[in-house]
Amino acid sequence: MIGEILVKAAFAACLVSSLAYFLHHLRGTPGFLKIGRISFFFTVGIVVATSAYLLSLILTHQFQYTYVWSYSSRELPTPLLISTFYAGQEGSFMLWILYTSLIGLFLIRHSAKMGYESQVMSVYALIDVMLLLMIIVKNPFETVWASWPGQVEAGFIPANGRGLNPLLQNYWMVIHPQVLFSGFSAMGVPYAYAMAALMKRDYNQWIKPATPWLIFGALVLGTGIMMGGFWAYETLGWGGYWGWDPVENSSLVPWLFCIACIHMVLSQRKTGGFIKTTLVFGMLCFLTVLYSTFLTRSGVLGDTSVHSFVDPGMAVYWLLTGLLVLFAALGIFMLARRWKEIPKPAAQHNYYSREFALFLGATAIAAAAIFITVGTSSPLITDIVQGKKSAVDIAYYSTTTLPLGIVVGILAGLGQLLWWTRSDKSEVLKTLIVPAGLALLTTGILAVVGVSDVMVALFVFASAFALFANIQVAIRIFKGNPKYMGGSVAHIGLAVMFFGFVASSKYDAKETISLVQGQPTKALGYMLTYDGYKPVDSEKYAFHVSVEKEGRRFSVAPIMYYSSYNDGLMRNPDIVNLITKDFYLAPLSLEQPSEQQNGTIEKSTFKTGETKEVGDIQITFLGFDLPVTHTAAMMEGKDITIGAKLSVSRDGSAAKPVTPAKVIKNGQTSDVPARFEERFEITIAGLSPDRESRENSTVELAVRDVMRAADTPAAPDILVAEASVKPYINLVWAGVIILLVGFLVTIVRRAQEAAMKAGVV
Amino acid sequence: MKLKVIIASVIVVLFVIFGSYSFMESNVEYTDVAGAMAKHKKVQLKGFWNKEKESAFDATATQFTFYLVDEKGKECKVVLDGAAPNNFELATSVVAKGRYLEDKGYFHATEVLTKCPSKYEAQPSEMKQGS
Repeated sequence: MIGEILVKAAFAACLVSSLAYFLHHLRGTPGFLKIGRISFFFTVGIVVATSAYLLSLILTHQFQYTYVWSYSSRELPTPLLISTFYAGQEGSFMLWILYTSLIGLFLIRHSAKMGYESQVMSVYALIDVMLLLMIIVKNPFETVWASWPGQVEAGFIPANGRGLNPLLQNYWMVIHPQVLFSGFSAMGVPYAYAMAALMKRDYNQWIKPATPWLIFGALVLGTGIMMGGFWAYETLGWGGYWGWDPVENSSLVPWLFCIACIHMVLSQRKTGGFIKTTLVFGMLCFLTVLYSTFLTRSGVLGDTSVHSFVDPGMAVYWLLTGLLVLFAALGIFMLARRWKEIPKPAAQHNYYSREFALFLGATAIAAAAIFITVGTSSPLITDIVQGKKSAVDIAYYSTTTLPLGIVVGILAGLGQLLWWTRSDKSEVLKTLIVPAGLALLTTGILAVVGVSDVMVALFVFASAFALFANIQVAIRIFKGNPKYMGGSVAHIGLAVMFFGFVASSKYDAKETISLVQGQPTKALGYMLTYDGYKPVDSEKYAFHVSVEKEGRRFSVAPIMYYSSYNDGLMRNPDIVNLITKDFYLAPLSLEQPSEQQNGTIEKSTFKTGETKEVGDIQITFLGFDLPVTHTAAMMEGKDITIGAKLSVSRDGSAAKPVTPAKVIKNGQTSDVPARFEERFEITIAGLSPDRESRENSTVELAVRDVMRAADTPAAPDILVAEASVKPYINLVWAGVIILLVGFLVTIVRRAQEAAMKAGVV
Repeated sequence: MKLKVIIASVIVVLFVIFGSYSFMESNVEYTDVAGAMAKHKKVQLKGFWNKEKESAFDATATQFTFYLVDEKGKECKVVLDGAAPNNFELATSVVAKGRYLEDKGYFHATEVLTKCPSKYEAQPSEMKQGS
């Protein structure tokens, strides 16, 4: 009850805030501004309280709440227990709301200083309102008896929760979603500012306060995306850092629009032009967040992705659709209303200017974002066109983005070398000589080494050009004022990352291998030997493989284990970082020679009462030893034992009773073999009890002669794994980190400038 | 001014054509056994694992072979590069990505996805009484 009341109170307070701010914008009555502000503070307070309440329910194991029961359990260590807060849809919306509200506090201060508070906050609070509506419908505080009325008694408290999916039980789960959702929340700010600009008819000033928010968003969301890629690469064993999966794309597309918008803002700042493009990109930062949320959460992708997207029901589907339509319609409405009065730049653009390069760069980035969006939406598109949902092959993404990458690379170098507005062709050409020459040289060397594809060679050239041009610029700026290095540092990072992309994806080598225990096997120039497995904790097993190449030795130990949660095998790869490359071993399966091959086995099927000779012994099957209550026991999840009562003799000796059995525990069946004369091991190979008429029951028995077994050596286990060598993957990580450092340098400078200005005023 | 507009439109049109062409090219269609046999391009073959027939992992070729039956009951041998995928035994249905090789008489899969009875969908029957 408390939870529902809190959520509804936050919703009401936030709605009042949005409306009051809007009324203040319309009429300018100071009272409305006060109401808007105070109700937003209330909203933040209630949202923080609601989150704390949900967290306390999780930490104290209140399993009568469906959400708590569904994602957590008593066994989880505290950090993971905290992370179950956002393991499901309801909680992740709660997290999104929490960060949106907290960012709102800073936004009020910042926008008030810039004179945008009522417009920006009326829009931004509306975002929070709609997100809150989401958790009113998809309520994290629902009790189990409310979730399944009639099936679960009121007041019932489950003993334990279902637990967290082992796939998510990782330290990345603690940090990655938090960063990602902060990024999503931050994307709401540029939208709010773009709308505010249209509301205020102020088409040039808005970009000033919006810029630090855009850079902040790019930094945070970029960090989140990188963490996700690293998680996938290091633990999930997807084989790479990027799989063009809908979930991954859904965070990349808003980030790309954010980057495009930053470039447009810079261009608009200097020239006063490109106003409409900047406004549209600013809005798209947030609209694409909503669209991706719709794609990945509404169930529309259906069966076309590896991720299992649970169908959340019609209410959520329509709410997500409504959310997207509402904010898109508001944006289009405002743009259409003001379209004619938006000033057009007076001056003619010079094609040899930095602003034109920025415009082209932003357009190329946006085009890449559009291609990715179309690819991710392919199940929707094919459903409409062909009536059948199907996803595009991931090759689509690299084919379409590669040419744009080339354009972006060239412009990332060119744009930094060109000057604003003025430009002298001969001067431009002069500055181009060194980086272009070096880039040509690099491409030439790499072409000799092995770059044969024309497009890839062009991409290499573009990346090298961007790298050298920006190094040149960075050195020049460093000598002047290092605070202004952000841009060139970010572009150096981009170029390094591009090199990493080429090396690790186009030139990686992969091989599926079968490693017979103790037998060295050659793969990709490495000698691999599977040494056996050891348990690492209660249920996980590490598979030790020693690797040797030219006298260098190291060992890897990928992990596989059975997860009862997922009803399947979980696999974690192991990676050895060799600086210039990664050696990556992803386990696939362990092939154990079926049954006990070490020994002679004979099988035979018996009817009740039948006597047969198997190997050297005579067996009579007397019947099953079935516990009377076994159906009931099975329902309760208790262990049950089914025995086959046998009478066994050898060479006419006195018959002895022997009872091999099968034990069913937690849905897992295991064998309890029985011995006869120490030499024969009898196992139930198959059984079909017939409860109606017991005489029709049959059993299949396997008899192993241990004495003969000694003669035949045991067949060794075979570890099947995928070995891959990923050259220069470190460049990807290094590039992304340099890129993000570039943003950090810029944001620090902007914050200092803002603080100085505020100090003066 | 006019030239600028023309050049820009040409670039936009080229990109749209390039995008749609790539989209059509890489649109991997879902199909059944008959469809996979008729088409000689990469498809996604949807069906069920025929547990009656033998399925085996060949350690030397690192290939997994099994028989797939589609909804119409038509059967096809599938050879997958690599080991049996996650949850293969429990899968309610499987999707094999690859192409049908007429000369070899089997479907050569590069990837097999499994659809499992979803554990993510909670059921009240999983609950046990607490104190």
